[in-house]
Amino acid sequence: MAGKPCTDDVQNGRNGLDRRTFLKGAAGGAAVTTVAGCLGGGDDTISLGALYIFSGFGSLYGEEAERGYELAVEEINNDGGIDGQDVEIISRDTEGDPNAGIRQMTSLIEEENVDGLFGLDSSSVAQSIAPQVQEYQMPLMATHAATPFLTSPEGEHDNSVGNEWVFRNSNSLSHDMYGAAQVAATLELDEWATIGPDYAFGYETWDYFQAYCEGIGVDTAFTEEQFPALEESDYSPYISSILDAEPDGVITPLWGSDLTTFLGQAEQSGWFDEIEYTLFSVGMGTDLPADGSPLPEGELASTRYDPFEPDTEENNEFRETYVEEYDTLPTYNAEGAYRAVYLYRNAIEEAGTNADEIRSTFEESEHTGPVGEYAFAPETNQATVPAIWGEVSYDDEYESNVLDSLEVSDPSPEEMQQALEDAGSDLPTGV
Amino acid sequence: MISTLSFVSVSDLVIGLSLGSRLFLIAVGLSLIFGVLGVLNFAHGALYMIGAYLALAFTTQVIDNFWIGVVAGAIGVGVIGVLIEVGTIRPLYDRVEADLDQLIVTFGFVLVIHEVVRFVWGSQPYSTPAPDALAFSVSVSGSTFSAYRLFVIVAALVVMAALWLFIRRTYFGALVRGTSSDREMASMLGVDVPRLYTGVFFLGSFLAGLGGALSAPLQSTSPALGEQVIIDAFIIVVIGGLGSMFGAFVGAMFVGLMQAIGPSFIAAGHIAIPFLAMVLVLLVRPEGLFGGLGE
Repeated sequence: MAGKPCTDDVQNGRNGLDRRTFLKGAAGGAAVTTVAGCLGGGDDTISLGALYIFSGFGSLYGEEAERGYELAVEEINNDGGIDGQDVEIISRDTEGDPNAGIRQMTSLIEEENVDGLFGLDSSSVAQSIAPQVQEYQMPLMATHAATPFLTSPEGEHDNSVGNEWVFRNSNSLSHDMYGAAQVAATLELDEWATIGPDYAFGYETWDYFQAYCEGIGVDTAFTEEQFPALEESDYSPYISSILDAEPDGVITPLWGSDLTTFLGQAEQSGWFDEIEYTLFSVGMGTDLPADGSPLPEGELASTRYDPFEPDTEENNEFRETYVEEYDTLPTYNAEGAYRAVYLYRNAIEEAGTNADEIRSTFEESEHTGPVGEYAFAPETNQATVPAIWGEVSYDDEYESNVLDSLEVSDPSPEEMQQALEDAGSDLPTGV
Repeated sequence: MISTLSFVSVSDLVIGLSLGSRLFLIAVGLSLIFGVLGVLNFAHGALYMIGAYLALAFTTQVIDNFWIGVVAGAIGVGVIGVLIEVGTIRPLYDRVEADLDQLIVTFGFVLVIHEVVRFVWGSQPYSTPAPDALAFSVSVSGSTFSAYRLFVIVAALVVMAALWLFIRRTYFGALVRGTSSDREMASMLGVDVPRLYTGVFFLGSFLAGLGGALSAPLQSTSPALGEQVIIDAFIIVVIGGLGSMFGAFVGAMFVGLMQAIGPSFIAAGHIAIPFLAMVLVLLVRPEGLFGGLGE
């Protein structure tokens, strides 16, 4: 708890022997911890820890998030901070690696004494960190990592790691794939295939897409699947295998610079002439950096936030401020990070820096942001934000890809559960 | 996870041969250096990566000319190889544990080169455009692939032929073959062995740089590139036989074709099949399918 009097633990109801304090003591000794707690941050600062990928294939997501949270910090501090205290973000690079993620999380909690955590781009990192924040009793607001198992309560499924300390303010892969299945229902294609990254996110995307398609009655076949390693430099064998299978549609959760690499090589292979529709689940046009390969116009992509939807004063103001500041449209990762800082501001203003009170405030309040109004669902702590699918086009004014003909998918948890049951799937909805 | 079986398409074949071609360019240098110097150069993948970065730099950042990038990549990496050999490997030749020391030194260069590249170019991957003259697609039997891919296959065949002629028909090639057979005898007959070793190290590094530069338009260039190819290169030289040019060629084409065709038949088949082949070769014919440089 950066910059607080060292008696805060007593004041906020934790008696100094709670689990978090015990863990700190085990790591460095109670006396050392006390000193470290006094040294962290300044007396007039609220510290939040940001965990994103800042290097390697997913670094552009960290850069986008950084823009979002820096904008929020600037706005909040210019507006007097949180109860007179400035907000500071201490960012750490997870490298997309679970072990690195845990190391950085531990450092933020034990050394930097942050008041809360947010971020996470990779599902595998998020799944590794979720049990740890529960141990530390530290709130975590996931803004990007999409695995449903992150918010599926522990015990619901073998892979579920959801707990009362983990929240997600963006929509999940499960929600996104329900929307994708709805899109597939309208396209009426005979055969679908996938090419995704060779880790949980790639496989889960394909599993949920198939399950929801079957659950909502899409009459189609699933014929080919390819899962290249992360940071693959040459996708041509995988592209060739997909093209040889001649599916009508392909859904791909490739992301980061892997998506950029894939796009260039797919274009060379005649992919977009041969595949009728490609659904990019993580590839909304502005998701890519200015120097990346843009998504081809006419293809379909999803996003967890659209800069033009909803058409509210809050969203429009955020979009224009962001464009003025960074000369580009905000991506969903920027918006998620921006909103996470405001969630903490609102919670701390209402409840102080007590971790348990922050968590309760997240749970109990109605929230609003550029993405619209939402709440965190009981049991899962998953934000009730819609999945958005649309057709990729190019906007001359913003010099960026945007989505047209938006299909906003906002099913109830019951509808999603029913679809999975009808498909005979044991996957959790995570919502 | 068996997927639908189908005949190998033209596209699979072309992609496989192009993958094999670029693997050949790296594996043959690795094999040559081991065959003559007895040095297992762990840094060979990192040298290949530098070749790709130099091609990238000359194509997109310095003078916008891919072909100069290829020349710079090959020669530049050759020179770096010479510096590594003269500066750090030569002093180790006469040590009792020379093999282990050389392995550790070259592994050290993997880390150093990786970090230098990250420092200069960052960790994000880059795309290198194919040269304008070859920046078009070719369609054969319903399969589409870039003309540059065909060029890389032809380039590898030319390099193979040139190397064969160089080793078999030139005086330097005769010295290389003689020294690889018996270093002490070559030395007694007046061959300047240290200088010859440096020359061979230059040639092997030159080939790695050439392979990296020529491969740049077919793949993304990132610091992970060296680690990805060195494993394949080791598999190839084990299958083909350490020190054998022809073995490197056959092994590279086999691994390349498996990488292209494997994903169509079985999940991770492109990784599993070459490894299984390597294990099989080690069990049945430990010296590789074509052992020895002089065959």
